[in-house]
Amino acid sequence: MLPAPRRGAAAPAAVPYCYCSPPRALPARTKYRPPPEAAPQEKEPVRYANVMYDPRVVRGNTYALQVIPACTHLDLFEIQRQREARRKALARKRAKEQVQLTPEPVEGREHVHVQTELYLEEISDRTIEVDTECQTDAFLDRPPTPFFIPAKTGRDVATQIEEGELFDFDIEVEPILEVLVGKTMEQALLEVMEEEELAQLWAHQRAYAELRNAELAEVQRLEEQDRRYREEKERRKLQHMQMLQKQKETTEKIAAWAFAKRYLTDLIPSVFSNLRESGFFYDPIERDIETEFLPWLMTEVEETLEKKVLGRMMLDSLIRTVVEKRLDAFSQEPLSGQTEASAEEPGPIDAAPQEADEIEAADLPVTASEESDQPVAEEQLSRRISFQLEEPDQAETEDLETE
Amino acid sequence: MASTRISAQLPPDIDPTKAPIAFGRRALPKLNEEIQSPELLTQQRALMALCDLVHDPEKVYQAIQIGFVENLKNLLLHHDSTVRQKTTEIFCIMAMHNVGRQGLIQKGVIPALAELMDDPVDICRKNAHQVFEMMAKLHEGAADILRAGLIPLLMFKLKSELNEIQELILDTLSNCLRVEASEALSSGAITILKEKLTHSSVTIRSKAAQVLLEIGTHPEGKIVVGEVIPVLVSLLEDTDSEVQASATGALMFATIKPQGRFSALGAEAIPPLLKLVAGETSKARLSAIKTLTMLAELPEGRRKLLDHTDTFQQCLNDPREAVRRAAEIAIRVIKWKPF
Repeated sequence: MLPAPRRGAAAPAAVPYCYCSPPRALPARTKYRPPPEAAPQEKEPVRYANVMYDPRVVRGNTYALQVIPACTHLDLFEIQRQREARRKALARKRAKEQVQLTPEPVEGREHVHVQTELYLEEISDRTIEVDTECQTDAFLDRPPTPFFIPAKTGRDVATQIEEGELFDFDIEVEPILEVLVGKTMEQALLEVMEEEELAQLWAHQRAYAELRNAELAEVQRLEEQDRRYREEKERRKLQHMQMLQKQKETTEKIAAWAFAKRYLTDLIPSVFSNLRESGFFYDPIERDIETEFLPWLMTEVEETLEKKVLGRMMLDSLIRTVVEKRLDAFSQEPLSGQTEASAEEPGPIDAAPQEADEIEAADLPVTASEESDQPVAEEQLSRRISFQLEEPDQAETEDLETE
Repeated sequence: MASTRISAQLPPDIDPTKAPIAFGRRALPKLNEEIQSPELLTQQRALMALCDLVHDPEKVYQAIQIGFVENLKNLLLHHDSTVRQKTTEIFCIMAMHNVGRQGLIQKGVIPALAELMDDPVDICRKNAHQVFEMMAKLHEGAADILRAGLIPLLMFKLKSELNEIQELILDTLSNCLRVEASEALSSGAITILKEKLTHSSVTIRSKAAQVLLEIGTHPEGKIVVGEVIPVLVSLLEDTDSEVQASATGALMFATIKPQGRFSALGAEAIPPLLKLVAGETSKARLSAIKTLTMLAELPEGRRKLLDHTDTFQQCLNDPREAVRRAAEIAIRVIKWKPF
């Protein structure tokens, strides 16, 4: 607290100045408040803080201190509120005073308020008011703070930057321009190079494609040529083979022809000779004689012989009948001659085939001896035939008989 | 939420249609996330920014590593045409780099792009066909296109598309048919190509002849190309050297088979071919020499060409070694006698 400026007489030098509150060094505040359950602190050694770093110390000029008014700006509303608050406080106080502090007067008595001080005071509701006025000087504007001009020490040196010395646009803009232009150029070059590269690639590719096509065409042409030659070769080979085949056939044919010719050269003579031998070339007269004359002769001879044979047969039959009759005649004899007859019956029956056998047996050596002579053999043959023809006749007649 | 933009007024030179690109390696991952955002404007801006970035091959490599291709494939079927157009453009630029091509093949982008062929917006279709064309130049790419069964579809589109797109389709076809031609033949390629041979545009004629050339490299193709020989012979006298070169090449392959040779002789192919051989700087020189070699295998051809051997002698002085060799072979074939 600042010592209030005293008005009136000059301060006697003898009276020492006394403070309302002695100045004291402010102890340091602990940074953090003590914990709530902490025991009452024992007396610690007082720590003094540095005044300079104490936030509670006012800084700045002390001889021209601006006192901040308590209420800076009160508008109407706040003023009204404060008045209300004051009125309420007064009302509360009055209500408090209403509370009776002394007991009720006894009957017959009356309590009266009495002053007991030494000097009596006139009490009235109306307080003695003495109006005094005091008027402060009108508030003046705070005069401007005079410039604090410390004493000049040292030497004065001045420097001034003229226009254009610090910042030269042309030089400064260069790197920026370089970047800008560079980037644009780079992009443009990139695009142009791209197109150029592409154009070159396509040109290269086209040239390559041309060469490739030419080579491919050449390859295919040679392939085609090769194919044609091969086919031609195959055809010619086939042709040649066919020719060889034909040639072979022709030689074979010629050989066959030659052989056949040679073989057949003496075919005709041999054929003729064979034919002649087999009797194809006949003398017609001879043939005529053979075919006509001789058979007629033979038939005539046959007839003649037949007549002879017939005669012999007749004779045979005659003999037979005679013999039979004789047999019959002899068999008419008594029964003792029956067994002889029966024995004789098979006997003549046996005799008849025996006769036939005998005749046959007689014929056989005849035929055997005369076989070499053909016409005679034919005769014999015919005779045998006729005998054989007769044989079955005879056998038939014999059968008839036995039946 | 706080955005990176400080003030509502952008600096005057920034392109408002592009998303701001993050620094360094973060650029592509951030764009990857932005592409998947549900808001259309973000997607479009991210795509525009990506389009510029993808010119750099390193960025292409990084993009494929991060897995951009999957997200872009999903965007191909977006309802907004700008998104589709930008996506196809990005694929187009990616396909220009080898890394990009490999990545596109691995992720199977080609079947996905096939669905875009009926897109109503022209530029989307054009970009899609450009991707096909570039992929077809790689052997694996051509095989991939064949495996996806795109050849009949491309043939069908050839009839109805715009000229530029037709050129791209013809290029794609010529590269694919180099590998295998059976699918194209079964979808009636020859009739379509025959009418393209008489198209008014020069590039289309030359490219159609190129496709016929590639078909003719296969044995079954040679027979079919044989029907077109008269038209090809008439193209030999075309004004443009490209057309002449392609037509000569197609004839070269068509005359390998004997039937082709006879029909070429019948169509009086020898005089224009000789003219092409005589021209010193013509691109068709090599092909013309080869075709004449084929024709010289026939007796009538040999007879006619015996009078013109000096033209071939001149070719022996050509700076290109291939031409010299071809000329030697031609002279040998012409002078060959059966006995």
